[in-house]
Amino acid sequence: MINLRNVRKFYGALEVIKGVDITVEDGEFAVFVGPSGCGKSTLLRMIAGLEGIDEGDLILNGKRINDVPPDKRGIAMVFQSYALYPHMTVAENIGFSLSLKKVPVAEIKRQVGDVAEILQLTDYLDRRPAALSGGQRQRVAIGRAIIKKPSLILFDEPLSNLDSALRVQMRAELQRLHRELKATVVYVTHDQVEAMTMADRIVVLNKGTVAQAGHPMDLYHSPDNEFVATFIGSPKMNILPVTLSRPDAGKLRLENADGLAISLADGGANVAVGEAKLGIRPEHLKVSLGGQGDFSAEVVIVERLGVETYLAVGSPKDPIVVRAEGDLSIRPGDRVSLTVDLSACHLFDSNGLVIRRPQTL
Amino acid sequence: MTDFALDKPGKSRRPDLLAYATLSLISAFCAVPFFWVLLASLDGNAQLFLSWPREWTLNNYVRVFAEEDGARWVFNSLFVVGSATLLVMVLAGLGGYALSRTRAWWKQPFLYAILLIRVLPPTALVVPLYKILLTLNNIEGNLVRIFVGGDTARAIMRWIGFIDGYLGLILVLATMQLPLALWIMKTFFDGLPRDYEEAAVMDGATMLQRIRRVLIPLALPGLAAAGLFAFISAWGDFLLPLILLSSPELQTLPLGLFRAFLRVNTIDYGFLAALAFIYLMPAVIAFGFARRFLVQTFSGGVKG
Ligand SMILES: Nc1ncnc2c1ncn2[C@@H]1O[C@H](COP(=O)(O)OP(=O)(O)O)[C@@H](O)[C@H]1O
Ligand SMILES: [Mg+2]
Repeated sequence: MINLRNVRKFYGALEVIKGVDITVEDGEFAVFVGPSGCGKSTLLRMIAGLEGIDEGDLILNGKRINDVPPDKRGIAMVFQSYALYPHMTVAENIGFSLSLKKVPVAEIKRQVGDVAEILQLTDYLDRRPAALSGGQRQRVAIGRAIIKKPSLILFDEPLSNLDSALRVQMRAELQRLHRELKATVVYVTHDQVEAMTMADRIVVLNKGTVAQAGHPMDLYHSPDNEFVATFIGSPKMNILPVTLSRPDAGKLRLENADGLAISLADGGANVAVGEAKLGIRPEHLKVSLGGQGDFSAEVVIVERLGVETYLAVGSPKDPIVVRAEGDLSIRPGDRVSLTVDLSACHLFDSNGLVIRRPQTL
Repeated sequence: MTDFALDKPGKSRRPDLLAYATLSLISAFCAVPFFWVLLASLDGNAQLFLSWPREWTLNNYVRVFAEEDGARWVFNSLFVVGSATLLVMVLAGLGGYALSRTRAWWKQPFLYAILLIRVLPPTALVVPLYKILLTLNNIEGNLVRIFVGGDTARAIMRWIGFIDGYLGLILVLATMQLPLALWIMKTFFDGLPRDYEEAAVMDGATMLQRIRRVLIPLALPGLAAAGLFAFISAWGDFLLPLILLSSPELQTLPLGLFRAFLRVNTIDYGFLAALAFIYLMPAVIAFGFARRFLVQTFSGGVKG
């Protein structure tokens, strides 16, 4: 189990990690996800020991390891560039850490053989990295990590060098490996799809802080704030500025300039009236041609994929995206009615923090 | 299917021929001077103009080594230029690494300042350089003479003297070549991701293991390029040995060639050609040796 407690990092006067608390359980596949520059790599490198920790505690299996040198932490890292040594064969690359420890040659050969077996690299042990495909290089990099039998494996955007087809394949392969090795993994990516498909636990980072951590579906269904709400899910959640009022006790009324008018039970939460934001995912808006809806809008863009149809409606500058099942023969310029799925919409205050309404969500 | 497979090489044959023809022409153009010198050096009666030797002889080479001090000149040149190149490679390797990795504010000013050494013509530096070296040499000579007497002191100073000694020439030659080599190595390390070193750190490599097992093998192509440029440029240097060396036992090959040119009243082209050919060889060999590293592709671990 790895524990970060109020961890901070400064580059000069610039604070890049701003007091982060994270827990990853044994055997978990944890993904740190966030936009570029939010401090994911810095955090990972602090766990690895390649960057110092300015404040806070880093605890691995109950031991504080802030000041333990990188190779003594029992942590392995797979680099974004793979960092395979071009002058060594695959076998030498995988066995490098053992040869540094002066492990007997026969023993290295045996362990490299075992690792190569797991990673299906047995036929490539005598090749140089230059003679391997992207996916094979990736596996060599993983082999170099797992031969150390680490209690934690770190990955820094390991799939970003691969083309998209291979990326899907490697995603499955990494999950298979994780199941077989029963290793604890911390995996960094800026791609929320990677995070959603692979993670047991997602930690969403924003500007050096944890925006939210939890199971992927928790983040999808009940985001804590506007940042997580719009970061998780594709296409991203629509955010509509609304005015909140309370016509009767226990009822909330939402209105906006486009004629949207819906009522929600406020569920006993003491919601402040005034400016707020309504978050609604594209898949939670129901579209109909004519007929009744919560509001109507003009269609700007239509993307017909056959199995589903995406519509952009409303103002062309800042449209609302709608996802509809199946093929709809709607053309730009048509007027459509939209119905909001009240059970799946989110309310955020003007600071972007979620307004929880316990009984209705 | 078969048609298609046969079609491809057939179509590319014409451009291939053209490319080979052009390349052959260029290589012939480059190779002619070498053959000219080689032919003349084997000609018993060589003239200024190229002609097919009527009598083949190794006599010119025999004279270089037997009558003249050829072996000594070759040794001096190889020793001085080789040591200077080695020094340049070590300093440029370490310095280039440091310059690439540091974030110090003086990095850019320093890099451009050292180029000045290269930009200023050596001829302009000769007088102040000579004065400095002479002062150093005198101080050093006095120190040496405190411990040992006349003849031994002179023998020692031949190795470590700043004027008319190997050490002075080695240091000056290395200094002249160092800026370019530093730039080459700095640029080279800039292109080498830090991940390599960090991966080695994670694997538990000590500083020495990192240098020996990771950095040096990775830097070999860069070091070969830097060393090759240093060697060829220092090998061709004439002015510095001319000024810094006076003892006949310390003469380098270009000085020997120059003096042989001046000394005899009638110019002996066969003898000069033999000297010139010997003078050519190490540069060609150095290039052949470094080429292996220069063309070494690097695609393996660096890019995915
Ligand atoms: N060595 C450094 N010196 C100064 N600032 C740095 C350094 N490394 C990273 N940063 C800054 O820290 C922030 C986080 O960087 P990083 O962890 O690499 O982000 P991510 O991996 O999420 O894209 C960025 O704003 C970056 O500019
Ligand atoms: Mg990063």
